[in-house]
Amino acid sequence: MQHKGNEMTAIVSCKGITKVFGKGELAVHALRGIDLDIMEGDFATLAGPSGSGKTTLLNMIGALDHPTEGEVTVDGQSLSGLSKSALSDLRLQKVGFIFQAYNLVPVLSARENVEFVLRLAKVSVAERRSRADAALAEVGLQGMETRRPSALSGGQQQRVAIARALVGRPRIVLADEPTANLDSKTTGELVDLMYRLNQDSGITFLMGTHDPRVMAHSKRHIEMEDGQIISDTRS
Amino acid sequence: MLAALAWRNIWRQPVRSILSLIGLAFSSLLLVFMLSFQLGIYDTMKVGALGLLDGYGQFQPVGYDDDPDISRLLPNWQALVEAAELDGINTATPRASSFAIMASGDTSFGAAIIGVDPVTEPKVSTLASTIIEGRYLAKGDEATIVMGEGLVRNLGLTLGDNVTMLGTGNDGAVAADVLELVGIFSTGISGLDRQITQMPLARFQDTFNLGDNINVIALRGGDFSAVLQAAPALAHMAETEGAVYLRWDELQPEVKQMITLDLSTAMLSYGVMIIVVVFILLNTLYMSVLERTREFGGLMAVGMRPTQIGTMVWLELIFLSLLGAGIGIALGAGVTLWVENVGIQFPGMDEVFRQWGISGRVYPDLSLLSAVAGPGVIVISIIILGLIPYRRILGLEPVTAMGAA
Repeated sequence: MQHKGNEMTAIVSCKGITKVFGKGELAVHALRGIDLDIMEGDFATLAGPSGSGKTTLLNMIGALDHPTEGEVTVDGQSLSGLSKSALSDLRLQKVGFIFQAYNLVPVLSARENVEFVLRLAKVSVAERRSRADAALAEVGLQGMETRRPSALSGGQQQRVAIARALVGRPRIVLADEPTANLDSKTTGELVDLMYRLNQDSGITFLMGTHDPRVMAHSKRHIEMEDGQIISDTRS
Repeated sequence: MLAALAWRNIWRQPVRSILSLIGLAFSSLLLVFMLSFQLGIYDTMKVGALGLLDGYGQFQPVGYDDDPDISRLLPNWQALVEAAELDGINTATPRASSFAIMASGDTSFGAAIIGVDPVTEPKVSTLASTIIEGRYLAKGDEATIVMGEGLVRNLGLTLGDNVTMLGTGNDGAVAADVLELVGIFSTGISGLDRQITQMPLARFQDTFNLGDNINVIALRGGDFSAVLQAAPALAHMAETEGAVYLRWDELQPEVKQMITLDLSTAMLSYGVMIIVVVFILLNTLYMSVLERTREFGGLMAVGMRPTQIGTMVWLELIFLSLLGAGIGIALGAGVTLWVENVGIQFPGMDEVFRQWGISGRVYPDLSLLSAVAGPGVIVISIIILGLIPYRRILGLEPVTAMGAA
């Protein structure tokens, strides 16, 4: 099923996305002709059993992988034919990532991890410092700016990852099982946080998840199975 | 940013980094000391072998080196002595030489007889310092001679005895003289001690009908490098006067060959050592790159370019190698400077060393070359070979990297 949101702008547009891993008899069709638009301001969840293609689709949208067939457009820019460097720049400028394993740089403090993407984007020292501190305050980590990831709990590390994903002011934040490693209390806090950021700042979220507590907050629920979208509903 | 990140990454695994640094520093220390020691021995060999008699360079008549005949005279030699007063040249001493029969009673032996200036000769040659009995030639001496202990023994002489010398003068006539043995030298080189004699130059010129002429001018400087630097100017002077200038390696080609051969063998050993160190370090870093593949995937996902990640890892390698080599150079220089003061004794090697004019104790010679060459090759090799992990990172795909174990 495909949602047609003509009243809103599509941040991401997937047209006929197919992804095949392997060749011949060993070929695995991870995605089978996906058509999907993610609209500005969406707080969408991508659900489905393991192997349904959630992560693969998120990787395609996040310019981390190339589709075998079809085209992905992010903020009006087609990803087809872009070089590795151009894809890196696109991720830096337009996409924020939140991973299940946080993927923070262990030798950098919380502030430095958040600043990192701004340094890559060549933002001035003063601006990146204020934006990083603001982002950390936004996710409730004021006072923990100088702590390294090893000195933070899982939930705190994921908050740093959220701050890092948001600080570059991306067009969309992609989260792959963001709460899988967290306890229920922390999960609740983080879902509330992301939902608030979506509501208050209009940041677009697309989250791959199994977690019913995350799905309960979503305004749009996309269900996948066997590499296809089987339902796409808005609440 | 990349440099700061690289520096911090080095210390993520402090034990591993410290072990790598110790390995690098120790091999650099060894290279600095061994090369300094080797160059020190070469310098000692050159000074010992050339300082004993030849000097660091010589003006000679054309063809004299191949056929040292008394009739080959050095033209306008006084001008050459004056002109040789260049920077780096301490003394120029004139010599004339020939071969003669030395006789005492019924015994006679052939020997080289060298006419020398008793005042300037000891400033060029260390032969005077090897006198073991009597004295060296002195200003005002006339019919005197100093001989090696081997020849003295063969002739059955004692100090104060007269020696009859019989040779051929410059004009082809007989050159004969009776000389008093005033000194016996022992250089430790048996060939020299059996065949070399010296007498005052003025008496030599009279006896051999040389007039005011000489055969060679031997030069000495404060150090080898200074004389070597002056070689082109000295050669030009010699050419102007219709003579030739011979550098140390032309005077003692066997010393040069020995040094070249020894250095070639040593370079092979150094090369093997450097290769082993470089590959051990690269292996450590490559392992670290493999371990961090997942992290690199995460960095790519947040927008870091593969070239930036590759550069960061390359910088880690450069910092590590520079730090290790720097510590090694500092320690190696310290050890070398200490040994430069105390020297190293090689028991049982005295006889071998003496053949090369080396006294019992050997001293390393720390120079910019010996301090930097070995560690420098390690650092440059690591920097170049560090492009292997760099290339691997360039080939990484974010999804595959993030999926790495």
